Amino acid sequence: MSKTSSSDPMELIDRYLQAVAFWLPKSQQQDIIAELSEDLHSQIEEKKIGLGRALNETEIEVVLKQRGRPVLVANRYLPQRSLIGPVLLPIYWFVIKVVALCYLLPWVLAWIGMMSFSSSYRAQHTSAGWLGAIGSAWSAWWFTTFIALGAVTILFAALEHVQAKSGFLENWNPRKLPPARNPNQIPRAGSVIEVVVNLMFGVWWIDVMSSPVILDRPEIRIVLSPVWRYFFWGFLLLALINAVVAGVNLARPCWTVVRASIRLATNGAASALFCWMLNAGALAQITGGGLSAARALEVTNAVNVGLAKTLPVVLATGVVIALLDARRIFRVKSAVPVQLKGKVSAAVV
Amino acid sequence: MTNGTQGGPEILENLKLELRRGCLIVAVLAQLRTEQYGYTLRKALADDGLVIDEGTLYPLLRRLETQGLLVSQWREEDKRNKRFYRLSPAGEQILSQLLEEWQNINSSLSKIVEEAPL
Repeated sequence: MSKTSSSDPMELIDRYLQAVAFWLPKSQQQDIIAELSEDLHSQIEEKKIGLGRALNETEIEVVLKQRGRPVLVANRYLPQRSLIGPVLLPIYWFVIKVVALCYLLPWVLAWIGMMSFSSSYRAQHTSAGWLGAIGSAWSAWWFTTFIALGAVTILFAALEHVQAKSGFLENWNPRKLPPARNPNQIPRAGSVIEVVVNLMFGVWWIDVMSSPVILDRPEIRIVLSPVWRYFFWGFLLLALINAVVAGVNLARPCWTVVRASIRLATNGAASALFCWMLNAGALAQITGGGLSAARALEVTNAVNVGLAKTLPVVLATGVVIALLDARRIFRVKSAVPVQLKGKVSAAVV
Repeated sequence: MTNGTQGGPEILENLKLELRRGCLIVAVLAQLRTEQYGYTLRKALADDGLVIDEGTLYPLLRRLETQGLLVSQWREEDKRNKRFYRLSPAGEQILSQLLEEWQNINSSLSKIVEEAPL
């Protein structure tokens, strides 16, 4: 015989009702339980008449299981409440995403950056080994996450409480909604800035960076290695292409697959060129300032090594930019005509 | 590509529940034009083809009573205390308005379905 079985099968009903009562508010407990009890007894009575005998414990168990878990049964009598209701829930999720993206992700990236590039930070945190460092960062991250998400949840729960009483979110004005936006539309101001910046960069680049000797003063002289000429022409060409694309965008301010693909190609090429430059030991010589030849070589090497160390960051940035560019191409390709200002604005493909 | 009938039965069940929810209130109010207690009410509804589980019925009865559409009274019958419900005067008014609304919805729906047959 199991631990829960009893000599009187009807005792199961009392136990069930007691379990339901536990979850009910005191003021309604007696009333609800009396009615529930009556309903159960009516059902069992009817079954008893049908069978011509009293129900055994197993049969009563089946009846009670059909009724459902006590906590669920009790819950149906309670008013439907939520910590954050349907009005605030989408805003809550939006804020959670913003917190994750603008606070928690940078936290992780900053930690990775510090561990990668700051030898003193690394030494301080890897005294218990790498696993220990990751473990302590993981627990610190969880603590930060818990505090950040907890604070947002408490704030929204409080807002929900105020909203339920005052209904302040019901007061809204369609005129105050942001203007309808076509994601494939290119802001003209952005194109103007892009043209100007690329042309200014080109002029400055030709003026300052065309010669391998980029600084030649009595106190200091900086000379770039012969490989620099590839970077010089490469970056100049990319700046010109970008200026042309921005000029076309200015005239026809809507992304097309061709222009979005050119942007992906130029950004990809710029990232690749930049990575190559960091890794190529582009700085050939630093002299002057009373530096001895050995010391000058040491400084030159240190600068080249320092530049090479930033490669992962540049590479990661390049990948992110390429993904954003690829997403733009996909968006332009899959664009459907949008009804804006009463006219059909067809996507240009 | 759409995912076709994936989750079909579950979706159908949810839609049926939504469809039934409003109808149940009308049915309960209509049934309680004659005084009944919970168990017999449930049986009467089931006999007429509208099965409702007790976990839905009793909270609904309490809500309708709180809204003043039903009145209830504890009384002894067959040696057991039972709570009898019936429609209140306010409930009668609401029921007639709900029935009128239901007729309107029903005729609109019939027209729509006739215009666009399956």
